[in-house]
Amino acid sequence: MFAVLHVADFALQAVLRTGLRLDNRPAALFDDTRNKSLVCAINSSACHAGVQLGMSAPQAVARCPGLLICTPRPAAEAEARATLHTVAFTLSPSIEATAPGVCTVDLRGANLPRLMNTATEAIAQLKQFGLTATAGIARTPLLALYAARSTQTLQWVRNEKEFLAPLPMAAADASPALLEILRNWGLVTFGDLTALPRDAIIRRFGAEGLALWNRASGGGPRPLIPVIPPQTFTAAMEFEHTMETLEPLLFILNRLLDRLAFDLINAHLVAAEIHLTLRLENEQALTFDFRLPEPTARNEILLRTLHTRLESIQTDSSIAALHLELTPVRPLVRQQGIFETGLRDPHGFAETLARLSALVGPENVGTPQLENLHRPDAVKLTAPLAVIPPPAVPTIHAPISPPLRRFRPPFPARLEFTGDQPSYLWSEPVSGEIKHHSKTFLSSGEWWQADRRWQRTEYDIELAQGGIYRLLLIEHAWFLEGEYD
Amino acid sequence: MPPVSEKIASLRHLLASRFPTLPRRAGRVLASGIPAIDAARGGLPLGGVTEIVAHSPSSGAQLVLSQLLSITRAQRQRVVLIDTTDCFDPASLPEDHLVHLLWVRCQNTTQAVQATDLLARDANLSLVCLDLRDAPAVDLRRIPGSQWYRLQRATEPADLALLVLTPHACVPSAEVRFLLPHSHTLTTMNEERPILAAGLHATLDRQRRAMANAS
Repeated sequence: MFAVLHVADFALQAVLRTGLRLDNRPAALFDDTRNKSLVCAINSSACHAGVQLGMSAPQAVARCPGLLICTPRPAAEAEARATLHTVAFTLSPSIEATAPGVCTVDLRGANLPRLMNTATEAIAQLKQFGLTATAGIARTPLLALYAARSTQTLQWVRNEKEFLAPLPMAAADASPALLEILRNWGLVTFGDLTALPRDAIIRRFGAEGLALWNRASGGGPRPLIPVIPPQTFTAAMEFEHTMETLEPLLFILNRLLDRLAFDLINAHLVAAEIHLTLRLENEQALTFDFRLPEPTARNEILLRTLHTRLESIQTDSSIAALHLELTPVRPLVRQQGIFETGLRDPHGFAETLARLSALVGPENVGTPQLENLHRPDAVKLTAPLAVIPPPAVPTIHAPISPPLRRFRPPFPARLEFTGDQPSYLWSEPVSGEIKHHSKTFLSSGEWWQADRRWQRTEYDIELAQGGIYRLLLIEHAWFLEGEYD
Repeated sequence: MPPVSEKIASLRHLLASRFPTLPRRAGRVLASGIPAIDAARGGLPLGGVTEIVAHSPSSGAQLVLSQLLSITRAQRQRVVLIDTTDCFDPASLPEDHLVHLLWVRCQNTTQAVQATDLLARDANLSLVCLDLRDAPAVDLRRIPGSQWYRLQRATEPADLALLVLTPHACVPSAEVRFLLPHSHTLTTMNEERPILAAGLHATLDRQRRAMANAS
C-alpha cells in the first residue's frame, strides 16, 4: 500500500505560509520566467474574485483590486518541502519526493487499521504548519496520487475500477495533442480509455499511448526513491520584503521552529543549543547563540528563548534573511531525587535571567563570589548554579558584628577632633557627634605592583544619634565606607 | 439598585465560578531566624508581602537578611536580593551563604521595582528581597499603590516570600509589617551574629490576616 500527501498549488502555499495574516487574502502566483508574467496559481479567495489561470497581472488586478501578487521563492519552497517530508516521516520511514508538493509514502509494515487516523493527523499537522494538504491511500503510488488529487481531505481507494472509471483524461498528464485526439474520439474518462483493448491503443499511439493506458489503469507498485531523514536541524529563509519589526520575524521563526521541533521529536532528540544568524540589508550579519538551560524539543520554549533575546535588539538595518540551527542531543532521562533542589522551571528561570539582564545589564546580575584577594570589596558575579549544593560544614566560630552595608563609592567625609580623638563627623549621608570609636585597623596589599598597591586605615564609630559606621583613611583623606546594620 | 459592595461580591463570585483555582494553602511561612519575628508570626508569610521598616540607622535589617540567607541556605532554597542602591556587601557573609543567592544590582528605584515584578513571577524562587532603605524619598513616593498590589497578586499563588526593606512604612499591600526601632551600639561589634539575632528587637506593626483565620 502507498499513500500520497498532496499540497495543491505548492509554490503559492509555500510563499503564503511565510507571511503574516495572508491566509484569507486573495493571492496569485505569477510565473516570472517568461517575458510576460502570467498567473500560474491562485488560491480560493482569488478564484472567487474571478481571477483565472493565464491572466496577466493587470487583468488579474482589474478583477480583484486587493489581489496579492506573489512570485516563486525557492527558499520558501525548500522550507515547505522540508515540512512536508517531516510530516510524511510520521507515516513511514520510506518516503519519496515525487514532485513539488507531492510526497509518496510506502506503507509496508504500517498499522493499516490505524492508518486513516494517522493520515488524518498528518493532514491536520500540515494545516498547523500552514500547508493545506490532501491524502490518498491505494495499492499503487499513482492511484494514491489520483486519490489525493480528487479529494478535499483523505481518500482510500478500495475498489480501483469504480474509482478510476469517472476520472477525467486530463488527470493522467498526457500531451495536449493526444488528449485532443482522444476527445475527438469521444474518450473523456479513464473508464472510456481502459474499455478499449490495450494492444489496439499501442498500435495507434505507440509508447505514448501505452504509457497513457497504463496511467489510466492505475499503474503498478514500484520502488520509491527514498528521502534520507535530516541529519542536521537547520532552516533558512530569505524575505521578499525586508523585516523592520519583531512581530513578522517571530512569525517566521515560529514557523521554522515548528518544523524543526517536529523533526527533533521524530528523531527522538532534543535541542541543546540554538544558533540564529540574521543577515541585514546592509550585508552585516548578527549571530546569536543560545545554550538552553535544559535541552528540549518544545517549540514554545525555543521560541520564547529567541523572543526574550530579540526584543532587546535593535539593528542598524532591516533584516533580509535568517538562518536557524538547532544542536541536537539525546534527551536526558533521569529521575528527580526527593531532596534534589534543582530548578522547578529551568526555562522560566533562564528567561527571567535574560529579562533581568536586559533590564539592569548582564554585569549586574549573578551569584556573588568572593575573589581570592585581600583587597576590600573584591567580588565577582557568576551565573547561578542549576542545583544548589548541600551546605558546607559550619565553621566553629560564627561571624561576628552586624553585616556591613557598603557605600559604593565611599562618601568623602570630614572629621573634627578634640585633642587627638575624633568628635564630629560631616558627610553627605550622615553627620553627627561621634560617641565612641574603635581602634584603628590597618591593611594593605599588592604592594609589589605600582599601579595596584593599596593601603588603608579603618575606624568603626558610633554616633550619638545612633548608627555604627566604618570610616576610612586613605592618603590623608577621610571616607565613609559603610554602615553596620 | 444594589450597593457597590454587593456588585463587587457578585462579580467575585462569578469570577470564582468561571475560573476556579485551587484554594491557597494559607498560614505557610518561611522562618526568618530572628526570634522576635518568628515568635510574632512564625516567620515571613509565603505568598504574601512582608515589610520590614528600618526606622533608625544600624537597626538590624541587614542582620535579618543575613539570617534569612543562612536559613534558606540550609534548606537549599533560592533567594534573590534586589539591591536598589548597590549596598550589599558579600564579604560580610560566609562564602557558603552566597551560593544560593542571586544579586541584582540596580541603578535606580524604578529598575528595582521592575526587577521585583519580573522575579515575583518566577516559580523557582523561595525568597525575593527588595532593599529600598537608601532609595530617595521622592522615588518611594512615586511608586504607585497599584504597583504594590500588583506585586502582592503576583506573589499570592506562589510559594514565595516577598520581603521589602524600607526606611519608613510605604507598602500598602504588606501582609505583615515589622518595625526595627533600636540601633546597634559599638559593643555589638564583638558579638557573634546568632547572639545579635537573638537580641534583635522587632515589633509587629501590622498583620492583615490573623493566624487563626489563615490556618
